[in-house]
Amino acid sequence: MSDRFTLISIALRNLLRRPLRTIILVAALSLMVAALVFALSFVMRVNASIQLTSERLGADLLIVPAGSRGAAEDILVENRARSFSMDRSFIDKIRKVDGIDKVSYQTYLVTLTGMCCSVPESMVVAFNQETDFIVTPWLKNKLGRKLQRGEAIVGSESAYNISLGLVNVEGKLFGNVFRMVGVLDKTGSGLDTAVFISDDNINDIIQNSKADIKRDHISVIFAKIKKGANAYTIMSEIENNIIEVDVVMRKDIGKSLLNTLGDISKIFYLTMVLATALSLFLASAGCASLLNERKREVGIMRALGAKEKHILRLFLFEVLALGTVGSIIGIMAGTMLSLVLAKSFSILKNLPVELGMGSRTIIAAAGLLFGTGICALGALSPIRRLKKLEPLFVIKQE
Amino acid sequence: MPQIALHNVTKTYKLGSQSIHAVNNATLVIEKGEFISIVGHSGSGKTTLLSLIGGITNPSSGTILFEDKDIFSLESDLLSEYRCEKVGFMFQFASLLPMLTVRENLLLPTAFSATKGQGGGAGQKAAALLGMVGLADKVEAYPSQLSGGQQRRVAIARAFMNYPAVVLADEPTGDLDEETEMDMMDFFKTMNRTHGVTFIMVTHNTDLAKQTARQIRMHQGSIQEK
Repeated sequence: MSDRFTLISIALRNLLRRPLRTIILVAALSLMVAALVFALSFVMRVNASIQLTSERLGADLLIVPAGSRGAAEDILVENRARSFSMDRSFIDKIRKVDGIDKVSYQTYLVTLTGMCCSVPESMVVAFNQETDFIVTPWLKNKLGRKLQRGEAIVGSESAYNISLGLVNVEGKLFGNVFRMVGVLDKTGSGLDTAVFISDDNINDIIQNSKADIKRDHISVIFAKIKKGANAYTIMSEIENNIIEVDVVMRKDIGKSLLNTLGDISKIFYLTMVLATALSLFLASAGCASLLNERKREVGIMRALGAKEKHILRLFLFEVLALGTVGSIIGIMAGTMLSLVLAKSFSILKNLPVELGMGSRTIIAAAGLLFGTGICALGALSPIRRLKKLEPLFVIKQE
Repeated sequence: MPQIALHNVTKTYKLGSQSIHAVNNATLVIEKGEFISIVGHSGSGKTTLLSLIGGITNPSSGTILFEDKDIFSLESDLLSEYRCEKVGFMFQFASLLPMLTVRENLLLPTAFSATKGQGGGAGQKAAALLGMVGLADKVEAYPSQLSGGQQRRVAIARAFMNYPAVVLADEPTGDLDEETEMDMMDFFKTMNRTHGVTFIMVTHNTDLAKQTARQIRMHQGSIQEK
């Protein structure tokens, strides 16, 4: 006859003894953990997208037409197609501001399928190859030369959308035929969904189409500041002297998106606090009922020599097993939700960053800690009460 | 030195504003290897006296010494060790854990024992004990698959798992037919005689009580030696 017998086997038998109750407890916990994982995935993905865009922008200041700050962030953070413009003369004004090191600019055009262009709606970014420090590092890496007039290079997501996948195919943009000479590597920013052309082509586009842009107009100016210069001072100086523009600091990019998401995040956090309180209550109530009906068993075990620590371990094994199974199911469900349901959120749909394994692991660990922690916390008080009871009192109560 | 000594032990329960002395100023000395029966009417304090000796309920006053040590002066863990290592319990009611098999119920006390634990032939001992109580073929059965009498015999076998010095038996043959009852009494006597196990047995059966070397009668919580 086998000698092997542990407290773990008693705990597992107890869970299997009442399968329906075990399933209900696991299901309740799974829902809580799934909600947490979904909320964390949402918040972390938004934050990561904003941080990445800011890091990869390569500019300290972003100067846009007054009132277009939100539209610029739509393009950079959310990859939405937007068009806005200001007079080209602002480039020189910005260049002359004290503390400005380098200045470049881009012009944004939105294609309209069937009307002007043979590609689905996307952003066309015209940039100056002499001054650019935003696209050029990625272009050099891929093409190894400058773009010629009539040539375009597409972002990795645009290539997918346009079904290019190939180079040296031709596409019509604003009445002009462009040869697609390459696909940029994935940058994880707004660059991924755009089509890039040299700004030499702007005059041809204005001449041959009804593009919503005026001659000598640009959309955005990027500025790098000199080492040691104060970004706040420069920003104030620009905004005070050129009232037709708004200035966005690199670290403030995404602030308006965050403000928009602020209320959603608050709802998520509030839901989580309520869910935590509810799950604590549920875990306590579940464990209390689970322990109450087994008072006599505890009394028998204590009479047979079980120490308080044995009782504590036995029930902790039980609730931790429940917590672990519930958490794992919740993590899987929450992750699936964040992958599938997120496509229904227009904010999330356009974000450039997908959560990597590292972030997903952190979220899963948080979910596991939450699920098991809630169970352990909820069970602790009933277990403590029970293990302190006098064995005879517990046995006779039944 | 007596194995067990009770000095002026009282156990009082509160029932509303009323105090009930389940055991009243009891003094008793028990030597190692004795076989004692306790008889008395229902509510006379027999089970409470057994529980006090077994360390599963605290006395309201008085001391209970086991091998000269006051068991209720021990810390909680040491008192549990006393129950686990020194005492074998047979409860008045079916006391098997329903989710465990017969084998696992027998091995249960070894899971709590630091010195008489598993790996030291506990499985073999469980098999041997089940053979002695006539249940060798029920090793993997669950309590719900056994009759009341069979469950009682499993509990009897379990009481001997940790090689106890004292067995406290509360109406151990209550659910058994006459023949099995006699078999169990023979088993107790064998364990008492060959292993020197002290037996303190509560019973309503005067015939069984007469088979023991020493009889104690309890009346309204007080001990009266016969």
